Amino acid sequence: MTAITAINENRQEPIRENVRLGPEIISVRDIVKTYPGGLRALDHISLSVRQREVVVVIGPSGSGKSTLLRCLNGLEEIDSGEIVIDGVPLDEDPGHRLTIRTEVGMVFQSFNLFPHMTALQNINLAQEQVRRKSRKEAEETTMALLARVGLTDKAQAYPAQLSGGQQQRVAIARALAMHPKVMLFDEATSALDPETIGEVLEVMKGLARDGMTMVVVTHEMGFAREAGDRVIFMENGRILEQASSDDFFSNPRQERTRDFLGQILCGPVPGPAESTPNAKEQL
Amino acid sequence: MTARTKAATVPGFLVAHYRDFLLYGLFLGAVAWFIASGEQGMGYHWKWYRMPRYLVQITEDGWVLGPLLQGLLVTFKISGLSLILAMIFGLTAAIFRLSDSFTARLVAKGYIEFIRNTPLLTQIFFIYYVIGPIFGLGAFGSAVLALSLFEGAYASEIFRAGIVSIHKGQWEAAHSLGLSRLDTYRKVIVPQAVRRILPPLTGVGVTLIKDSSLASTIAIYELTQQGNIVSSDTFMVFEVWFTVAAIYLAVTFPLSMFVTELGKRMRTAE
Repeated sequence: MTAITAINENRQEPIRENVRLGPEIISVRDIVKTYPGGLRALDHISLSVRQREVVVVIGPSGSGKSTLLRCLNGLEEIDSGEIVIDGVPLDEDPGHRLTIRTEVGMVFQSFNLFPHMTALQNINLAQEQVRRKSRKEAEETTMALLARVGLTDKAQAYPAQLSGGQQQRVAIARALAMHPKVMLFDEATSALDPETIGEVLEVMKGLARDGMTMVVVTHEMGFAREAGDRVIFMENGRILEQASSDDFFSNPRQERTRDFLGQILCGPVPGPAESTPNAKEQL
Repeated sequence: MTARTKAATVPGFLVAHYRDFLLYGLFLGAVAWFIASGEQGMGYHWKWYRMPRYLVQITEDGWVLGPLLQGLLVTFKISGLSLILAMIFGLTAAIFRLSDSFTARLVAKGYIEFIRNTPLLTQIFFIYYVIGPIFGLGAFGSAVLALSLFEGAYASEIFRAGIVSIHKGQWEAAHSLGLSRLDTYRKVIVPQAVRRILPPLTGVGVTLIKDSSLASTIAIYELTQQGNIVSSDTFMVFEVWFTVAAIYLAVTFPLSMFVTELGKRMRTAE
């Protein structure tokens, strides 16, 4: 818990103040993805993410936001278009695919920890098998990461012995152990009990503060406002609106975006001219 | 307190099921009568006192295993080796069947269908008389190969079911960490799958011990073949085959009980 309290203490400071964005690291050009049933999940999406940028993707369910994320690390195949991550194109080349899988970390809604391994072993595994680290080196990294997510005392615990929030924090540490250049979060807090959502969001905000490049699919508008540089609103496989996080919430341009925000924030959202005071507090 | 309640429930159980116990007693009596009348009709003389020497003999060097128990050791040797090989064949075939490669799937499918749709005895003869001479495989090697190929085909279905039962998220997590397909199988999927399929896999072991009796047909001196020899030497047909059956039962029954118990525990654990 110590790491969490430490994060909580600096809460007043704006999270992104000291982060300077770098050059483009993710380039998505005109990608199309159709599922076997004929459902077009991604309809000509283009997107660019800069180094150390935090991009939050929101939208109603079925809008294609999770599919977009899953395409970025090759979990889903695209029909056409181009994805380049840190100069490596995601194409047929197995070497390229492996590089991208290794350099892009992903956190899932259902944690997907390996249930037969302790927290320590979960985080060690890929370091030893993929990065070819020795057990000792891997364990050093692992313990440092567990401290970072506030779970030093849970190293020997199996996933079934951990709460949802703790499992998700282990999953984040597991992804970080690969020193990824980009982290993808696929509704990382949607499966959690309300009381454990906060501890996971704090870890994610900590990463944002440290300048991790992140693409975050979430329904947590508070996180989007506080930690996001840019918000993308998707519907029916298309990007309907994107703006800097401040603009997006205070000044949504599209009627549809206002409707969606109104629904999700449980109250009316003012038109372009006005502002939305304390929208996140209502969450 | 608990002891008293327990003492009270046991006779209660007997009373509640007295009809079942009565019927069971009658059934056993009928079986005994059937065997006894058959034996009398044939004028058979039981010579149980002559049986122990075929199990254990005392010589000047001390205790020596009789032919039946020596046969049991051979049965163990064949079954044990075949079990290891069957697991390898089974796991490989299962992974081939789940592979993206069309060729691998075809090879696995062909193997499984061929094995499952021909009799084991035919396979043993085929390997002993046709394949064996080509590769210089003796009777023992042929028996082990035939049995492991046969049980491997059935084990592969069990492995496949176990692998498929592992949640897709496990594959996705391994993928996103950059693990290779082999490492994902080795470290993530198979360890979880084996836990789930341990009961049916132990069942394969039980079947293997029983099916190894077919190795007697290609002159391997395992338990059944030794029984054959002893019974034709001594004409103690009843005693020998009762004993052989009892030995098989003594080995396989505890294993089967273990399987049932394991299955129950796994269900409650999940």
